[in-house]
Amino acid sequence: MPHEVIMPALGMAQDTGLIVSWFKSSGDAVKSGDALFEVETDKATMEVEAPADGYLTDVQAEAGAEVPVGNVIALISDSAEDSGTLAKAAPADTPSDTPAEAPAQATALPEGAGVIMPALGMAQDTGLIVAWHKSPGDAVASGDILFEVETDKSTMEVEAGQDGFVAALLAEAGEEAPVGDVIAIISADKPDAPVQRSIADAASPKAAAPQPAQDGDAEPGPADTAPAKAAAPKPAPAAKPRADGRILASPKARRLALEQGLDLNRLVEAGHPQPYHAADIEVLKSLPTAPAAGEAGVQSRRLTADLPSDGFAAFATWAADNAGLGDAAALLAGLAGASLGQDHAIVAIETFGQTRAFAVPAGPLGDITAADEGAAPDLTLRDLRLSQISTVALGAEDMPVLTLTRADDGLSITLECASHHLTASEATGLLSEFAGRMEHPLRHLL
Amino acid sequence: MRNITLSQAVNEALAEEMRRDETVFIIGEDVAEAGTPFKVLSGLVEEFGTERVVDTPIAEPGFMGLAVGAALTGTRPVVDLMFGDFIYLIMDQLCNQAAKAYYMSGGKLNVPLVLRTNLGATRRSAAQHSQSLHALVAHIPGLKVAMPSSAYEAKGLMKTAIRDNNPVVIFEDKLMYNDKAPVPEEEFLIPFGEANVKREGSDITLIGTSSMVQVCEAAAEILAKEGIKAEVIDPRTIVPLDEAALLKSAKKTSRVIVVDEGHQSFGITGEIASRINEKAFYHLDAPALRMGAMDVPVPFSPALEDITVPTPEAVAENARKLMSGEMIHAA
Repeated sequence: MPHEVIMPALGMAQDTGLIVSWFKSSGDAVKSGDALFEVETDKATMEVEAPADGYLTDVQAEAGAEVPVGNVIALISDSAEDSGTLAKAAPADTPSDTPAEAPAQATALPEGAGVIMPALGMAQDTGLIVAWHKSPGDAVASGDILFEVETDKSTMEVEAGQDGFVAALLAEAGEEAPVGDVIAIISADKPDAPVQRSIADAASPKAAAPQPAQDGDAEPGPADTAPAKAAAPKPAPAAKPRADGRILASPKARRLALEQGLDLNRLVEAGHPQPYHAADIEVLKSLPTAPAAGEAGVQSRRLTADLPSDGFAAFATWAADNAGLGDAAALLAGLAGASLGQDHAIVAIETFGQTRAFAVPAGPLGDITAADEGAAPDLTLRDLRLSQISTVALGAEDMPVLTLTRADDGLSITLECASHHLTASEATGLLSEFAGRMEHPLRHLL
Repeated sequence: MRNITLSQAVNEALAEEMRRDETVFIIGEDVAEAGTPFKVLSGLVEEFGTERVVDTPIAEPGFMGLAVGAALTGTRPVVDLMFGDFIYLIMDQLCNQAAKAYYMSGGKLNVPLVLRTNLGATRRSAAQHSQSLHALVAHIPGLKVAMPSSAYEAKGLMKTAIRDNNPVVIFEDKLMYNDKAPVPEEEFLIPFGEANVKREGSDITLIGTSSMVQVCEAAAEILAKEGIKAEVIDPRTIVPLDEAALLKSAKKTSRVIVVDEGHQSFGITGEIASRINEKAFYHLDAPALRMGAMDVPVPFSPALEDITVPTPEAVAENARKLMSGEMIHAA
């Protein structure tokens, strides 16, 4: 199988290379590494080596010819005879307005100027596409950054090189493309069906380059269906390589957020400007827990009280032994109901998913009864003292919700409600009343 | 307590140690007759004679080599290097010989030598007499480096240096020789590796060396008027470095600026800031900043020279940026 000798890209902004002289003649035996010809660009003159052992054949450009970068200018074949396959594919000394790549893909790819993978280093065979900065169909100006390429030495931004529209991206970010391969096409007119595909999609990695048919068939085959299939527009543009969810925050701010179980994302959602510092954690703490969706003007409130000791357990034991009040849930309902300051309240007690509603009249705890079925509770008390949960921020529900959680030897009480349930002062009043009752139940009864 | 100049403090330290230990001697250019260009050594030759206050030819590598040899054989030389800039001349004697003799001899040889020299720009001395080169020697294992920030430190650190069995380089700031500070009459030593909290604060830590301690204190004054409480710390010796004290303060304030008169790049500001970023990372609310001298030869032009070194205003400005959470380096 013959190896192609292409005009290499020696500079970033190089379109063509001038063949200064040939060191070998057509039919000469060559070894991989032999200098084949000398090429001159606007910056330098370089010798180009043979890519393989064999015979130099099908020489398409004489010394003095200016050849577009990426064009095949000769083959290294197994025999000394010309195969004749290049006659059409790489006309020598053609102006580069119609890149030689286009004919090979004419049936599949949009018309336009090809953008090749540039050679950024002397010993570079391929370049890794780090990212595309334009999407298919985008308008581009000559100086726009089209893509970023990484080699073993550096990462560089590559400009589009011409004005127009991105008609095709022929390699995906993360793929390596051989130097000189066309990896994008820029068209003068807005393309009807811009193409996006990966190198892996293409059956032949060299498909974009003019390729001598292997069996001697000079016609670039429409039978070669793989590129055509690959060239079909993808149903949806590939997802952007991960929307950048990184939050800029100082190490201290992150640590504080972590320690306090706070989510910096909520600051982002609230439109608070980054980067976040320790002071912004205070802002985060003051944010309403869960904005009630769809109800404009409704704010949710979340207040927490921490008690150093839990007076309730001892009180429940005392009440059972001395007053015959053995239902701890009813006692809790009584303390919570009394904190509301209403003559009559329905209090629902939630424990491990079970809910019991109590009617709490103003008066002795003994008067508490089970509420009528279907009575809407004025207040829910969620008892999580026996669970591992330490903080809750569940958002406002249909009624104010008090949540009891364990905190070391004491208790943590969280009140969550919507702004229309309780005013700010009512909410603080309820929570401090209830916290006081839970800490010293007897004091409040006497 | 009486106030004396930094010159007097060094002079006292040398005189006291020379009286205490007869193996201590001074060697260098113009140390006897002229008493050094900064008049630090005035009167010492009268008391101790030319045997112990030795004038040398203008030949730094020679007298430094001589002093290293003398130290290896049982004396305690205090080498006077007229300008810190001349340290380039004695690098082999200092860094290859003095710094490594203890290690290379398996602990059999000590070099109890003090190299007294100076640093500091803004004295209109031009590029070859204005450098602050302490980072060069701080880089070499085997050398201790002290940087007194006032007459008090100059005396206490000098006496400790003379008694140390390792080579110690002391950098005095040329502009501070006439600055007065309270110094006790009675004898005192300042141990190496003990930072001094010059001013307490809770918002930001300013770490300064040598005369930059004064710059940091002035910056703290400016900031105090704006309600920013700056803590000022003087490490006093950069080798050994009181890392614990610096980290403690960094964790307390969560913001740090390190100010030093050496060139900023590859200097000790970078070293100290790095240690803080590495070891107090999760306590920092902003990156620890370096503020060194510009990376240029010190200009002779006064107008230019003055802007090459950190000033109180510049330190305060950076402190404000850190306080406001403004990222100095774009993300």
